[in-house]
Amino acid sequence: MANLVSIAKTVGANRIVPTVSIPYPLGDPSLSLEDQWKLRKHRVGVALDALATEITEPTIFEVKI
Amino acid sequence: MRLEIGNFYVRDVIFGEATSYRDGVLTINKEEALQVVCEDDHITDADIVIAKPGEPVRITPVKEAIEPRCKVSGGVMFPGVINKLVPAGSGRTHALKGSCVLVVGKHWGGFQDGLIDMSGPAAKQTMFSQLLNICLVADTDEEFERHEQQKKNKALRWAGMRLAEYIGQCVKELEPEELEVYESLPLNQRGPEVSRLPSVVYVLQLQSQMLDEGYNALVYGWDANHMLPTFLNPTELLDGAVISGSFMPCSSKISTYQHVNNATIKRLMKEHGQTVNFLGVILSNLNVQLEQKTRSAQFVRQLATSLGAEGAIVCEEGYGNPDADFILVINELVDAGIKVVGITNECTGRDGRSQSLVDLSEKADAIVSTGNVSQLLRLPPMETVIGELESLARDGNSGGWEGCVFPDGSVEMENNGMFCSDANTGEHYKTVVEY
Amino acid sequence: MKKAIHYVNQFFGQIGGEDQADFAPEIREGFVGPGMLLSKLLAPEATVTHTIICGDNFFGSRKEEAIERILHFLRDKEFDVFIAGPAFMAGRYGFACGEICKVVQERFGVPAVTSMFHENPAVEMFRRDVYIFAGGDSAGAMRKDIPKVAAFAKKLVTKSELRPAKEEGYFPRGIRLEAFQYPPVSGADRAVDMLLKKLNGEPFETEMPMPKINRVPIAPPVANLREATIALVTSGGVVPVGNPDRIQSASATKWGKYNIADQQSLKAGEYVTIHAGFDPSAGNENPNVIVPLDALRAYEREGKIGRIHDYLYCTVGTGTTQAEASRMGAEIAQQLLDAQVSAVVLTAT
Repeated sequence: MANLVSIAKTVGANRIVPTVSIPYPLGDPSLSLEDQWKLRKHRVGVALDALATEITEPTIFEVKI
Repeated sequence: MRLEIGNFYVRDVIFGEATSYRDGVLTINKEEALQVVCEDDHITDADIVIAKPGEPVRITPVKEAIEPRCKVSGGVMFPGVINKLVPAGSGRTHALKGSCVLVVGKHWGGFQDGLIDMSGPAAKQTMFSQLLNICLVADTDEEFERHEQQKKNKALRWAGMRLAEYIGQCVKELEPEELEVYESLPLNQRGPEVSRLPSVVYVLQLQSQMLDEGYNALVYGWDANHMLPTFLNPTELLDGAVISGSFMPCSSKISTYQHVNNATIKRLMKEHGQTVNFLGVILSNLNVQLEQKTRSAQFVRQLATSLGAEGAIVCEEGYGNPDADFILVINELVDAGIKVVGITNECTGRDGRSQSLVDLSEKADAIVSTGNVSQLLRLPPMETVIGELESLARDGNSGGWEGCVFPDGSVEMENNGMFCSDANTGEHYKTVVEY
Repeated sequence: MKKAIHYVNQFFGQIGGEDQADFAPEIREGFVGPGMLLSKLLAPEATVTHTIICGDNFFGSRKEEAIERILHFLRDKEFDVFIAGPAFMAGRYGFACGEICKVVQERFGVPAVTSMFHENPAVEMFRRDVYIFAGGDSAGAMRKDIPKVAAFAKKLVTKSELRPAKEEGYFPRGIRLEAFQYPPVSGADRAVDMLLKKLNGEPFETEMPMPKINRVPIAPPVANLREATIALVTSGGVVPVGNPDRIQSASATKWGKYNIADQQSLKAGEYVTIHAGFDPSAGNENPNVIVPLDALRAYEREGKIGRIHDYLYCTVGTGTTQAEASRMGAEIAQQLLDAQVSAVVLTAT
């Protein structure tokens, strides 16, 4: 899970889930705690699904929140 | 815009009764100078010490470097920072060349501070060993960050600016030994001779990764994190529109001294009308969110294409994740059909075997390399230390670590902690090659 | 006088041609064949004291045995430099020269030098490990190639200052370190000159060639998440307050593992980030924004995953070299494999 997906690709990561930023990958101080929780839970869920997904090339998984 | 810089070549700096300049000798009234320093009551302790090239002197923790200057006409020094907010870059500025105010912590250093050796094997590491350094060695009451690794160093840096302006004032009424004239005409007034030359922009990516106020580079006093890339007349940059921040391992930092002496811009100004049509400066930043990086890169591309740039030089103030901003901007410009040269440092490890940048692109096919941040350096003991040597080991300096300062005063460190040594603005002749 | 040992194949060792390619390794005193010129050029600083001769097929097909025999020959010899070839465009000979140079260098700590044509496949295989000088494509280049090797070997044995690869003439070893330009040319002038060349369509040379982008084999998907053990790993510097393993805030060479088996989330005040590459305030206020233990626990309770591995693994990613990162990654991966972890959520900052 990385914000700089191009770097994640460069170093050879194959399943990549975008995060919010460098200092707070899975939060956002401008959001309420509840919204931050929703965002974090959603993206971690995408990561877990990514781990169970068959891929044939380095893949960036889409996030909704 | 037209800027005249009147140069006074300082050959010696001494203390004396009146702060003055005569026949290459800069005299400083220490007491009066310290009064200017202490105008801010956050300064609790201050002294001024001179360090000259070739002396057995080590200076650390160095927080900032500023060239002593004054505005003779057409503005103020450091507008929007220590003086009122007016445009920079026109009229006349006088500069005491060869001298430099260094802001040095009396005790406390941090991640972003640096070291300078005035002689010995490490002197060639940084251009600042070649200057007559007027070291302001001071302490403050900024308790909130005394033991923080990341320091804003505000009181000290601002005191340095006041001191540089105070010293610079002594040549305000004098006739300079040399007058440099920098003029940048509006794009539609450059005439056919200039306009048919290849058009070039200079892209400066300022350090702006910190979210809190007080750490990032300032543009007319404005935090570079809070701006979109913008167009700047080169004379504005050479006249103090940009102030160095207080973040980033020191070898990658661009000091305020270097902003006003930006060697790449000076060379482009010289080439202007001869080999290129130098359009001006696109000021950009280095951010911590992919979306911010993308937005800035898109703006740089838009500005460059709107201006009609055919060539660009991109300068990155930093390494690590800022490499992503650097590569992104290069990709955008190349995709827009612009020929690009990048200038930056790299992180190849102590053994030199690691990948140069964290992000890669085949489009970045013309890069000037200015240093390896993790180059291991061994420094012999020095007779005199200005500041406090232990700060390198104790306070989280990016090039130091616990135990890197030995009892005899010798030091083992990474280039990361050398003061502004990689000079991505192009002042130095250091590079990285393959062995 | 310093001592050099020279390696040649059966042909240059004057044993014979292809029919003698199975010739077993031998050591002889003094020089043989091209060693005469080599020894002459090494004088007066050094001399060839011994020559090892080995058939190319013997080395190629019985590599371990060949190496073992040669190392046995060398075990009681004193020498300051090991020189092999030149191998020109000869593939098997080039491989033997590269391999034996690498092994001798590692075993005895003595520098090794060889020479071959740039298209010899052994150049790519060994240029990172040994000094390989750019040579001609056939033995006709012998009189050109040996002097280069000899001159450099002299520098090695006299411990003279070595210049960058391009100046010395050997293939770059992938070691990028600082150098000072003499006469000094500023970065500004180099950048503008490079741009002018680029604008004028003239050839230019980057100072930082882009390496090839890494590819890692794709791991198969986790078959059944509901039974999987998921581990958390981060380069975001999240550690218990006090940083018990003293992981560096930048240019890290250490990693830590912390038991999170009893934690539902990472509590502020108990965990902090020591990463110096970014503003730590958000992470310190809620460490779960860097290491999402709270969200992963929710999925554990819901049964989406089997369980969370008991340990969080952490290092710092700022200024950390690729080499150190790879080593730490491999060490952490081994622990995770040993603990039969099924998959990892790695958060990068």
